[in-house]
Amino acid sequence: MAELRNRLEADDGAAPEVLINDVSVAYTTNPDKEVLQGVSLSIERGSFIGITGLNGAGKSTLCRLIAGYIPHFFDVDMTGSVAVRGSDTAESGIGELAETVGFVFENPFDQLSGANLTVLEEAAFALENMGVPRQDIERRARASLAAVGIEDLADRDPAKLSGGQTQRLALASVLALRPRIIVLDDPTSQLDPLGAEDVFDVLDDLHQQGFTVVVVSQDLEQLAPRVDRLVVLEAGRVLWNDRPQIVLKNAVDQSYPLAVPDVVHVWHELRQRDLLPGAPEPPLTATEAVAAIAARSPATKAGSAFLDSEPATNDTAGGWARPDSSEVEQLYTADGTKGVSFNDVQYVYPGDVTALQNLSLNLEGGCICVIGQNGAGKSTFARHLNGLLKPTAGTVKVVGQDTAGMNVSVLARDVGLAFQNPDDQLFRRTVQDEVQFGPENIGAPDAEVATRANEAMELLGLLDVKDQKPHDLDLAHRKHVATASVLAMDTPVLVLDEPTGGQDAQGTELLGNLVRQAASRGKTVIVITHDMHFAARYADRVVVLAEGTLLADGDARSVFGQPEVLRRGHVTAPATTRLAAGLGLTSLPLSPAELVAELAG
Amino acid sequence: MLEYRPGNSLLHRLNPLTKIVVAGAVIVCGFLLPDFRGPLVLLIAVLALAAVAGLLKRILLMAAAVLITLFIGVFVLQGLFHEGDGTALLSVGPVTLWLDGFQRALLIFFRIAIIVCAMLLFILSTHPKDLVIALNNRGVSPKLTYVLVASLQFTPQMQRRARAITEAQQARGLNVKGSWRRRIQALITIMVPLLVGALIGAETRALALEARGFSRQGPRTYLREVPDTTTDKVLRWAALVVLAGVIIWRVITWLN
Repeated sequence: MAELRNRLEADDGAAPEVLINDVSVAYTTNPDKEVLQGVSLSIERGSFIGITGLNGAGKSTLCRLIAGYIPHFFDVDMTGSVAVRGSDTAESGIGELAETVGFVFENPFDQLSGANLTVLEEAAFALENMGVPRQDIERRARASLAAVGIEDLADRDPAKLSGGQTQRLALASVLALRPRIIVLDDPTSQLDPLGAEDVFDVLDDLHQQGFTVVVVSQDLEQLAPRVDRLVVLEAGRVLWNDRPQIVLKNAVDQSYPLAVPDVVHVWHELRQRDLLPGAPEPPLTATEAVAAIAARSPATKAGSAFLDSEPATNDTAGGWARPDSSEVEQLYTADGTKGVSFNDVQYVYPGDVTALQNLSLNLEGGCICVIGQNGAGKSTFARHLNGLLKPTAGTVKVVGQDTAGMNVSVLARDVGLAFQNPDDQLFRRTVQDEVQFGPENIGAPDAEVATRANEAMELLGLLDVKDQKPHDLDLAHRKHVATASVLAMDTPVLVLDEPTGGQDAQGTELLGNLVRQAASRGKTVIVITHDMHFAARYADRVVVLAEGTLLADGDARSVFGQPEVLRRGHVTAPATTRLAAGLGLTSLPLSPAELVAELAG
Repeated sequence: MLEYRPGNSLLHRLNPLTKIVVAGAVIVCGFLLPDFRGPLVLLIAVLALAAVAGLLKRILLMAAAVLITLFIGVFVLQGLFHEGDGTALLSVGPVTLWLDGFQRALLIFFRIAIIVCAMLLFILSTHPKDLVIALNNRGVSPKLTYVLVASLQFTPQMQRRARAITEAQQARGLNVKGSWRRRIQALITIMVPLLVGALIGAETRALALEARGFSRQGPRTYLREVPDTTTDKVLRWAALVVLAGVIIWRVITWLN
């Protein structure tokens, strides 16, 4: 086998690493639906390929094909062929392919073996199974930990790592087998922004070292600048397969629902107004955009303004224009009788770990986004909103009532909270039943239960699947079901924990509309999120937590205009705001449209 | 916590199989020896080994909860109610502590104390992975030993998930307190996501194990070295010889 491979390398260096030839796939659980339809794709040796597309487009199925999980693990009807380094995957086993193709899954925690006590042992596990001589195992395992930047965690318990660290460990444990190709199926959707960036940086490194990297992601801001080619799948077919600049240009030109990076939108808008002559391709990063705009549009009013002015520094932050925020300020002076109020709240976990301290704020009216790094206290904060945790000191009042001594199920009449992981709550046979669970629990009249459930399902686009089993839906839809079941409770306060994780552009838009509608009906909507674009677009007010204290509180514009505060909270401002800062603009545009309006004068 | 405590004592370095054989022999001998003095000597030996391994304090603390309850139980039942030949050890008013019952209580207590302490000593001094390797080297299927170790981590994982699920359902107004009927209904809303989640996780895990070559046939190697030394062999044989001796002695006395 090894000999054969060497010969292939010598004879045929230019052959594609992966050749997918006219493949159609339907899972036997749903034989009428072809998940892939006549897909052909060739992946060159050493290339970095990004795969994206709406939910249900067939991205995971494509990954499974390359690793041979289809046809070897999943039950499918399949036509066409897949060749990896010249040999047909149908003719080799998964174990054999594992030495050529490494695979990293979406959920970081489920892919640990669960049978190793240290990170080093976990990284060595594959080598042990393969019968690698003992004297080589430790060296190779440590080398793969180093390759993903976690060699200092070698002696830690793998079950106690963060999501980002676990995902890098999963990558290290397949890297130990020295595969030539690494396939990652949406590896960062469950990670915070810093964890995601770490994973992408490692992929960049591996690509530089000559690995062939194939990664599925919705995070085009991270993905696009790094890949050689971006493949967009649509309903089981390859829609686009080209350099990322060209694919993203197509996407903005056709208003295709991809999460196109803001800088591409800005480029597109400026081109539309003839303000960027001679920049035929979109920039992919804020730095590229600053260079492109600064070089090519000195004629615009803003162009001369930013060319003349100093680049934004911490000192200028205070001088940045504040928007008209009288409406927002009203929110802070509200007495908290319609929302949730924190009065000098402290929370200390058993073992003297202080998670919240000196926290005083009124959350009432509008959409309030709570942001901050992992460990900032966001989840402890969320559990105080509905009485799952009671403050160690200070008081939390929900719609005017002190949560101390109150049962969570009673508070649920006033606060609905949808947690991040939908699988922690789905248990009924149909989507409709599941959505009705919330309103039934809080004792809504029968007639109203059905009406509310229908409204919630309509808002979340679930009416088509209301008779299906929740667990047969993909993650994005399962999240919508969980959100709908809380929305249907029709509580004055609605709390959503990371609602946009794993959503495509359409799903995120749906949630944004929902939040706006609820807020316009006078509800208080609190969104705990890592998604700065979402916050910039939909938040009436942004609250930044860091180390259990309140770091900043204000409308999106004023919060994102404080680079020093953001740095202390380990939060990155939206790309548009960073771009504006890079261009030396003194205003704080939150959307590409605002930035372009500013540039166009 | 009932988990491996790293160390470098003789006991830590022994092959896990040796520890199983010796612990097994000690426990069986404890039950074969007819009066309490034999088990007492064995218990002292086990505790001495624990002291050598630096685990004595931890084991005494962990065993205390079980053993104190047991101690009180057997002394009341046996000491006060088993008269035997009627010799009283101590009489206080209407309460009499019988000599025979007292000795019997000691015998039961020491036997069970040996089981508890020997097992604790084995678990605390044996790296689970070493046990896996030792068993695999003896031809036990890696799939079986995987289940053995994975189940150790499975329980805390399930506890964490069950807590997260309970919180998520409470947030949807589920009342986990109240009548039995309501509690049972609440249990369903927690068990279903727990089981479904475990099944979904199992699929990913199965594939991840495949991707790490787990089902590959052929010889395996291990990062950790689990030697089977002469000391190990001598100890195992010695334990078996002593055990055989005790059995023969008991059979002979029984026949007579």
